[in-house]
Amino acid sequence: MVRSVADRAFSPARNVLEEVGDMMILTGRTIASALRPPYPYGGEFVSQFLFAVRLCWFPLLISTVAFGYGAPGLQAANFLVIFGALDRLGGFFVLASIREFAPFVTAIVLAGVAGTAITADLGARKIREELDALQVLGVDPVKNLVVPRFLALMLVTGLFNIYALIFGIFGGVLATLTNGAPLGPFWATFFTNASTTDLWGSVLKTTLFGAIIAIVCCYKGMTASGGAEGVGRAVNQAVVIAFLGIFAFNYVFTQTLLATHPEIQVIR
Amino acid sequence: MSIVSGPEAHEEDEFRFHTGRQAPTGVQDAIEFVDVHKAFGRNKILRGLNMGIPEGRISMILGPSGTGKSVCIKHMVGLLYPDQGDVIVHGQSVPNMHDDELFEMRKRFGVLFQDGALFGSMNLYDNVAFPLRQHTDKGEDEIAEIVNRRLREVGLANANDKMPNELSGGMRKRAGFARALVLDPDIVLFDEPDSGLDPVRTALLCELIQEIHEENGGTYVVITHDIMSARRVAEHISVLWRGRIVESGPAEQLFESDNPFVRQFLSGDSQGPLGME
Repeated sequence: MVRSVADRAFSPARNVLEEVGDMMILTGRTIASALRPPYPYGGEFVSQFLFAVRLCWFPLLISTVAFGYGAPGLQAANFLVIFGALDRLGGFFVLASIREFAPFVTAIVLAGVAGTAITADLGARKIREELDALQVLGVDPVKNLVVPRFLALMLVTGLFNIYALIFGIFGGVLATLTNGAPLGPFWATFFTNASTTDLWGSVLKTTLFGAIIAIVCCYKGMTASGGAEGVGRAVNQAVVIAFLGIFAFNYVFTQTLLATHPEIQVIR
Repeated sequence: MSIVSGPEAHEEDEFRFHTGRQAPTGVQDAIEFVDVHKAFGRNKILRGLNMGIPEGRISMILGPSGTGKSVCIKHMVGLLYPDQGDVIVHGQSVPNMHDDELFEMRKRFGVLFQDGALFGSMNLYDNVAFPLRQHTDKGEDEIAEIVNRRLREVGLANANDKMPNELSGGMRKRAGFARALVLDPDIVLFDEPDSGLDPVRTALLCELIQEIHEENGGTYVVITHDIMSARRVAEHISVLWRGRIVESGPAEQLFESDNPFVRQFLSGDSQGPLGME
């Protein structure tokens, strides 16, 4: 009786810990497989990279412009106008867009669009026993399926971050113009506050977001079970876990970056 | 006298038909299961399985649905590992192999999965050519000659360009069979080749399995719960129930068995130890 109650109480926590552990192991195996010859994943890497670019460029464009214009743009502008300091909007965009919003929006769009497609694809293959067939045919699914998706998503999220930065800042430009202010002061405060640390920090962080999305989505796809319904459940869980992973990792990364580079905390 | 029966008594009762008798076949075992236990969560699937698959024969593993037949196949090729016990293929312990050894060992196997497990992104020709391109240095001309021969053998000579979703269930199985054979494997495993097929197509597929076995030789293991298929092709039968072997031996001996469970199952009778539970 006591054991049964304890089992029911602790088994969800145990399952979560097991899944996290399995994802860590998959990360290790993926990195080892990527580095160890042979390297048969070139073609799949290119096709996954182009697939992610094709799927994500437009949703990301809309999301970043709308988000940049709406949230940090108009709302921060409304606040700054009260103090007659709308020119500080450029400086604020370094903090808001480069450090936080561009990486976040990129990761959310990539997880929601490309990550779910990966989970659905691998999940369907798992259900149709294609992954088992691959293994039986002597093909390592980690090397041939996970590694190219892992590398492609890392590269594509890193590059898309720069794209998101440009369109996010364009949202800030639109907000400045909406307030009838000239753009010179916006750019002046933007470039005064911007630093290369902010830029590489942002790109590195987003690249690692890509790694988290790839591992979570591949793992959930490759462990899907229970037919079509199981694939749907795996996709749903992949998005939720990827978001949680991104939010947690963002906190750790940003705090570490600020602690190791205190000069970027100074608002000029 | 005990009033309340303990777990041992319950287990004894549960396995009262499991004599575990393995009639001699006169040949060495290609695959052996040694006291294999496997559970998924609380669901115990294999519960001390001891089974031998004789070399060079068409063996059938028969048993009611949900008794662990497909789990057996996955243990043979290292897609699943036992919680306890050992699975030995040609004298090598599968659970103790390193990844590289496992991938090498799998090249000796051909597996026909339940629905064929063809790769959805490739046409039929590329599906069958895949193992040759992956594991051999053969040129495209030689590959084409082998693939076309195998597709002809399974009656799919004119379906080279078809995608898997354009094929019927039976065609997908035959294509899966062709792919399983292209590397001339020592052991071919069939996971319920008759599932989802009408009786005529099942009979034709069984004939095909027999013909190709006669031509190529090798150890064939067929998982099924279809007695007609067993009568047609089986040379050796292992009857599996509740994760253990009830009885195993040459087909003709099993069909004459006086074990009540084996008799009921092989005659498809509703009266006997096996109920709806």
